[in-house]
Amino acid sequence: MKNAKNKETLAGWLFLMPALIIFLALVVFAVVSSFLLTFTKWNFLSGLSGIKWIGFENFVKLFTRDRKFITAVRNTLIYAVTTAPVSIVLALLFAYVLNGKAYFKKFNRMCFFIPYISSMVALAAVFRFLFRSDGPVNAILMNVFHVAEVPKWLNSTALCKIPIICVMIYAGIGFSLIVYMAALQNVPRELSEAAAIDGANSVTQFFKITLPIISPTTFYLCVVRLIAAFKAFTAINIMGMSDTAPSLVTEIYRNAFNSYNFGYASAESWVLVALILVITLVQFRGQKKWVHY
Amino acid sequence: MKKQNRSSRVINTIWITVCGIIFLMPLLWMFSSSVKTGPEVFAADFHWIPKEIQQDNYRRVWFTSNVPFWHLYINSLLVSVIGTLGQVLVSSMAGYSLAKINFKGKNAVFITMMVTMMIPVQATIIPRFILFKAMNIYDTLWSLILPGFFSITSIFLLRQFYMGLPNELMEAARVDGATHFVIWKDIMMPLTKPAMVTVMVLAFVNSWNEYLNALIFLPSNKNYTVSLGIQYWMQMTDEYNLMMAAAASAVIPIIVLFLFCQKYFVESIVTTGVKG
Repeated sequence: MKNAKNKETLAGWLFLMPALIIFLALVVFAVVSSFLLTFTKWNFLSGLSGIKWIGFENFVKLFTRDRKFITAVRNTLIYAVTTAPVSIVLALLFAYVLNGKAYFKKFNRMCFFIPYISSMVALAAVFRFLFRSDGPVNAILMNVFHVAEVPKWLNSTALCKIPIICVMIYAGIGFSLIVYMAALQNVPRELSEAAAIDGANSVTQFFKITLPIISPTTFYLCVVRLIAAFKAFTAINIMGMSDTAPSLVTEIYRNAFNSYNFGYASAESWVLVALILVITLVQFRGQKKWVHY
Repeated sequence: MKKQNRSSRVINTIWITVCGIIFLMPLLWMFSSSVKTGPEVFAADFHWIPKEIQQDNYRRVWFTSNVPFWHLYINSLLVSVIGTLGQVLVSSMAGYSLAKINFKGKNAVFITMMVTMMIPVQATIIPRFILFKAMNIYDTLWSLILPGFFSITSIFLLRQFYMGLPNELMEAARVDGATHFVIWKDIMMPLTKPAMVTVMVLAFVNSWNEYLNALIFLPSNKNYTVSLGIQYWMQMTDEYNLMMAAAASAVIPIIVLFLFCQKYFVESIVTTGVKG
C-alpha cells in the first residue's frame, strides 16, 4: 500500500516536472533575484564583481532625483486611467447593442475584435501615420470640421500621449467586448420584461437591471485592463515616444538594456509591481460598494 | 409596437455598423497603403484602391532587404509553433497532475503559481536576460520559445478541464494496472481536445505578436521575428507604403486564423480572459 502511494507521488511530480522547472527558473528565481537586485548598484557590463549593495539608495534616487522616472509614473497613471475606463465603457455600449436587436451582428463583432488580436506593433505603425501633422486625422479635422490650426500630435509633449491612448483603446476594446457579450447573454430576459411591464423605459432598465447584474464582469475587466495598461510599452516604443512620453516599462527598458543599469532598472520594475498590487487591492476593497454577486 | 421595434433595430444597426467600419478603417488603410506608391500614400485625392496595385512593395519587403520577411516568417513560425505545441504539452501534463493525481505538495505548487500571476513579466526580465546569457540561448530563438512553454493561464485552464472529467474514466484502466502516463496519453488527454485548441489559439496569437521579449533577446538581424521586422522598416525608411506592407504581412496570418476558428478565439477569451 505504501508502495502504491509512493508511486502516485512520483508520478505526480514527474508530470509536473517540465512546468515546475521552467517556473522555478524563469519565475521564482527571476522574481527573487530581481527583488534582491533592487538593493544593488550594478552595471551589467562591469561583470559579477561589479555588484555593490547600496540598500534603499535606488528608491531614494528614483523618488527624489529622477525627474524622468516621476514623469514616467505620472504618464503610466494617465495611460491607465484613460485607456481602461474608455475602452470598457465603449465595449459595454457596443456589446449591449450587439446583444440586442440589430443586423450584421457577426460582422460588427469581427470589426471590433480584429484590432485586439492584431499585432500592436503593426497598429502603432498605422496610428503613427494617422496622427502625422499631414496625416488623415488632421485632414479630417481640416476638411470636415474646418479646424484652421491643426495640432502637431507627434511633436508636442502634451499631445503626443493622445495617439498612444487612442491606439491602446482601439486595440483593447475587442477583449472587453467579447467578455461583456458573454456576460450579457446570462442576464435573464424575464427581468427586463417584468420591468418593462412596470413601465421602466429601456434606459432605466439598463442602469437599474443590466448594469448591476453584470457588475462582477465590469469589476473583472477593470482589474485586468488596468493591469494591462500599466504595462504599456509597445505602442510608445514603436511610435518613438520613449523620450517624450515615457511609461514605467519604457523607462525600465531604457535603463536596463540601453545603459545596462540592472540594479536601478530592477528597482523601477518593483515600483511597477507595487503599483499594480496597490491598484488591484484598492479595487478589491472598493468592490463591496458597487459589485453585486 | 412591432413597427417601433423594427425601426429601433434599423437605427441600432446603422450606428453600430458605422462604428464597426470606423474600427476597420485603420486596417483597411494599412492594406490600401501597402499596395500604393510612396507619393500616392500622401496624395491629396485619396483612393482606397490605387490605379495600379504595387506588388513590388511586398516583393521588396519579402525578398530584397537585409531582413527579408520570408526569413522573419520562418523565425516567427518556429517560435510560435514550437512554443505553442510545447506549452500545450507541458500544461496538459501539469494540469493532469494537479487535477487527477493525489500527492502531497501539489496544492502548494498550484497556489504559488497562481500568486505569481500578479507579478508582471517586466519584473523578471533582467534575471531572465542573465540566465539566458549563462545558458547560451541569448540571441537564439530558444530565448523566446523556452518561456513560451510555461503559461499559468494554460495550466489553470487545462486543470479545470481535467477536474471536470469523471474519475470513473480512469478507474477501469487503473484496476488493469495502467500507469498514469498511459491513462493520460490514451484516455484523458484526447478528451481535453477543445480546451487544448483554446489554449493553442491564445498561445499562438500571443507568441506571434510578442514584441518586448523579441526586442530584448534577439538583437541579430538573422533572428528577427515579424514584429522586429516592422520596427526595422519604421527605422530604416520614410516610405510608408513599405512599412505598411511589412505591417500587413504581420497581421494577415492572424486575421486568417481568426476567420477559420472564431469560435475558439471567443472561447479563449471568455474562459481564460488574461492576456500577458
